[in-house]
Amino acid sequence: MTLLKLALKSCWNRRTSVLLTFFTIAISVMLLLSIERVRMGAKSSFSNTISGTDLIVGARTGDIQLLLSSVFRIGHNNNAVSWQSYQDIKHRKGVAWTIPISLGDSHKGYAVLGTDSSYFDHYRYGKKQALQFQAGRAFHNGKEVVLGSEVADKLGYHLGQNIVISHGMGNTSFHHHDDNPMTIVGILAPTGTPVDKTLHIPLIAVDMIHASASAPRAITRKQVTGNDPHEHDPHDDHHHNHAHGSLDSEPSDLVGNPKQITAFLMGFDSPLYTLQVRRNINQYKGEPLLAIMPTVTLKELWEMLDIVEKLLLLFSIVVVIISLLGMLTTLLATLSQRRRELAILRSVGARPWHIFSLLSFEATIITLLGCVSGTVLFYTGLFVIMPVLQSQFGVNLSMAPLSPYELTLLGGIMLSGTLMGLIPAARAYYYSLADGMSIKI
Amino acid sequence: MIEISDLIYTWQNHERPTLQIKQLQIGDGEKVFLHGPSGSGKSTLLGLLAGITPIQQGSIKVLEQSLEKLSSAKRDRFRADHIGTIFQNFNLLPYLSPLENVTLGCEFSPKRRQKACAERNNVTAQAHHLLNALGLDGSLLSRSVSALSIGQQQRVAAARAFIGQPEVIIADEPTSALDADTREAFITTLFEQAKKYQATVIFVSHDKSLSHLFDRKISLPSINEANL
Repeated sequence: MTLLKLALKSCWNRRTSVLLTFFTIAISVMLLLSIERVRMGAKSSFSNTISGTDLIVGARTGDIQLLLSSVFRIGHNNNAVSWQSYQDIKHRKGVAWTIPISLGDSHKGYAVLGTDSSYFDHYRYGKKQALQFQAGRAFHNGKEVVLGSEVADKLGYHLGQNIVISHGMGNTSFHHHDDNPMTIVGILAPTGTPVDKTLHIPLIAVDMIHASASAPRAITRKQVTGNDPHEHDPHDDHHHNHAHGSLDSEPSDLVGNPKQITAFLMGFDSPLYTLQVRRNINQYKGEPLLAIMPTVTLKELWEMLDIVEKLLLLFSIVVVIISLLGMLTTLLATLSQRRRELAILRSVGARPWHIFSLLSFEATIITLLGCVSGTVLFYTGLFVIMPVLQSQFGVNLSMAPLSPYELTLLGGIMLSGTLMGLIPAARAYYYSLADGMSIKI
Repeated sequence: MIEISDLIYTWQNHERPTLQIKQLQIGDGEKVFLHGPSGSGKSTLLGLLAGITPIQQGSIKVLEQSLEKLSSAKRDRFRADHIGTIFQNFNLLPYLSPLENVTLGCEFSPKRRQKACAERNNVTAQAHHLLNALGLDGSLLSRSVSALSIGQQQRVAAARAFIGQPEVIIADEPTSALDADTREAFITTLFEQAKKYQATVIFVSHDKSLSHLFDRKISLPSINEANL
């Protein structure tokens, strides 16, 4: 029977208080690990929202406001960029591609984004990953819509289905245009970014929605087709007549003749152009515009949010410390009742350092068990909460093994627990020297 | 066997010594009844004899070994090897079975473990044997310690003191929690074992009614000059 075995048996004898102590440590460890992993997951999801875009250009507003509205679909940018300015900037030297974005409408709470085919060619997220189609293809004409994965999932939409997109940001619309439906022709693969929660429609369709919201249908049509000089009528009746829409439509005009867009994304041939064009845009004569570098602004935004994250981490560390102090209290409180135990051990020849080790083992055992159980609880919780976080917040958590940083945290807890155990151990050492053979209670 | 000469012990923060013994000799296998009122320095003497309390002045020789010359670690080792102890009551660790409480006597002494193994094949067998010899039947041995009566607990403690044949048994009022009938029976069985293993017994008590059972009676106040 080694000292370790004695320590274990002694712990088991006082299992009620020991178990409670152990349980608080386990929970605090779980909390710490969870918060740390959510923090990391949120950070990576966040910085992976958009990539490969050198500039985002919109009407003059705050940097973060522009980022939030154009990338995260949060908030509403009231001002717009005129189509003329867009065309002007688009054709400047060094511009590799541009993606026009028109926001402001919604469908059952999901954002509707008007764009053109360049969106599917050039938009990148994560580690410069292109958008993939889970099913179907990009839109070919003004009556087709491409859904983000979550939109299709949550609303139960499928390819070929006709849906109505209305004007405005609200969940419901005063205007019902069942006679002006759009066909779902594509569903994007999940990205873990706001793209999943977006319905993508051609720019021309945005105009149609807005026009039909303010004018009778006949006029709308006439207006749109009338303003469309270089293509055939994009919404010929034969598109309407297919009950489940047609997936083999002919490519036609996607842009129409918009007056303005919300913002546009730009990519350059060389990063050298980025700063120069940015400066030019910020001093643009035609209208007040703002160009931001999304990576920089994302970082700024994260630093703002990071305070909250760091605070959470701090709190969970405090919880761990409290749980360890709880252990210390319990060990010290039971110590005076255990002086008899110590005297018996001394009488059979245990040396003071045996007593010391016995007591410090206890703290180490409790902390170790707490850490192990906390980690198990953490992975169990992760397994349960992962799908929820993914679908509700787009935060990707991994079931990956503990990272070096997480292991360092656990090591820190083990170390603190062991160090705390030295306090009752030192006291017991002192008792065992002072009490001698006599048993004092 | 045990030889005390010119021993003076003063507790910290005390002005006068608690213990002052000029000369005391106890022979091999002697059964000594040491009595005196509380406060007469019994516990202090036992602490010194067992090597827990360091000796300040004078000398104690146990088994030809001068305790004052040993470091505290060596005194602990010496105690583990050569001295068995029985306390007044609550002798047992509540989280060990009676059997484990007995084998605990060998945990800190390879020497006693060796002796126990030499007698029976292993320590547990020897513990079993001792417990039976002290009148505890097998059904009690794996039970919780708290299920035992005080008399039974003291027998377990005695078995622990005897396991591995230590040369000296120190018993600090082991019978004070027992009723009159069991007292004598306990001492009788204690002596049987002591005789078998040729152990010296130092039995401390303030209850003089037991003194007739012993070879020799020592009144601590009469040899402790500190009280004079």
